[in-house]
Amino acid sequence: MTSIREEMWKTKGILFNFALSDLKVRYRNSVLGILWSIIEPLLLLGVLFVVFSTMFKFDIENFPIYLLLGIITWNFFKNGTSIALGSLTNRAAFVTQIYFPRSIPGLSAGITASIMLMTELVILAIFMITLNFSPSITILYLIPVFLLEFLLILGISLPLSVLNAKFKDVEFIWGVVLQAGFFLTPIFYQFDMLPETVRNVLQFSPMVQIVTMAHHVTIYGELPTVNSILYAVFSVLVIVIVGYLIFRKLQGRIVEEM
Amino acid sequence: MEVSVNVKHISKKFRLYHEKRTSVYESVLGYFSRKKHYEVIQVLDDVTFDVKKGEMFGIIGQNGSGKTTLLRILSHIYQPDSGSVDITGTIIPVLALGLGFHPELTATTNIVQSGTLLGFSRKEISDRKDDIIKFAELEKFADTKIKNFSSGMLMRLAFSTAVQVDPDVLILDEVFAVGDLNFQKKCFDAIMNFKKRGKSIIFVSHSMNPIKDFCDRAMFLNHGKVGFIGNPSEAITAYVDYLGSLNTK
Repeated sequence: MTSIREEMWKTKGILFNFALSDLKVRYRNSVLGILWSIIEPLLLLGVLFVVFSTMFKFDIENFPIYLLLGIITWNFFKNGTSIALGSLTNRAAFVTQIYFPRSIPGLSAGITASIMLMTELVILAIFMITLNFSPSITILYLIPVFLLEFLLILGISLPLSVLNAKFKDVEFIWGVVLQAGFFLTPIFYQFDMLPETVRNVLQFSPMVQIVTMAHHVTIYGELPTVNSILYAVFSVLVIVIVGYLIFRKLQGRIVEEM
Repeated sequence: MEVSVNVKHISKKFRLYHEKRTSVYESVLGYFSRKKHYEVIQVLDDVTFDVKKGEMFGIIGQNGSGKTTLLRILSHIYQPDSGSVDITGTIIPVLALGLGFHPELTATTNIVQSGTLLGFSRKEISDRKDDIIKFAELEKFADTKIKNFSSGMLMRLAFSTAVQVDPDVLILDEVFAVGDLNFQKKCFDAIMNFKKRGKSIIFVSHSMNPIKDFCDRAMFLNHGKVGFIGNPSEAITAYVDYLGSLNTK
């Protein structure tokens, strides 16, 4: 038996193939086709934008950009994990007929989400230009922030894809987790606005730290705090390790459960 | 003669769930109620055989005798409970209908996707996709989503892809059940060509003629146990005798 890592290296070509077919299948049979990959996030961002910038207005500087960036960072996480959730079960016909590493579908979900992130970042850039917002050079630090988030997505995607094949209700549980996560992450408010007791708990959430760091480097033009970095890296590492162990335990016999 | 597939003492049990638990809630509930909700079925019991290079090896047996499970273990999809499988070179299974095709993608896209999954680079598979389509006689349908394909067309596509990918071991499960006579002949020509080049074929069928005519050796699988291995005609006789003994009981 080759190790999971060796197998992944051998089959890296498949990853992108899966990611592309994910996107193709996503907008299948639609009249506007691939245009939806721009229109869909544009409409979604538009709705959230209108709701939070007119109805629930918070006193935050550059609120429109603050909000959009938060939503985009959150969407990256949401898209990656929700695509990963069904990535094995949707390919039931596939995995029972050909052998390939069970990690591929979950990992390719991260790549699909990255492609979607790119389109949303283009939309963000358009908003920045329209609103006359010029970010400082620290915006380049968004790259390591998104890389860390990518790692987090993979760490959750791998166990999620096999768990969902074993237990059908993981899908519903994850839906609730995502819904709660959206409100518990400083997307349309600032983390400092929360009471201290709540903050003490939420600071362990990697997404709280990642969104905060994204805000810091983009809106305020400053480096993320050391605290943020430590908490984020630590929590992501724990999730990746635990996730990998769950995946390794379940992956061998997962096809027999499908 | 060199051996390309070496199967030693493979056993596999399955749990047959009578009230399948697929949710966390049911699992937790069932854990506490301690009611046994499944029985264990021995699907494969100490199966040992080998396939030599350039050999066509037939497998026959009743429905539920473990043929498909065995093929899935050979192709790495299932893991055996015990025993070992050694395969020299690459292996491609054409199981049931298809090679894991996606119904919403076109024939060409599916070839590329399955081809890369089977270990081809994008370029290699792109170079061969026209040959695959041509061999399958699907030129007119290359850009059709395969959900609109008939079972015969699907099988042709799967078989052509597998043959063009040119593995060292090819597994064929009931592939001729749906092809027309013309294509069947083409398949056998391709298979013979395969054998000549020292590649192995594992062939499962419920029709005895191809087993008798084309296989070098055959195995009769009797409820997960090896009933007979050797000359195809004798394997068929063993199978028919067993079926006869069921009827007289």
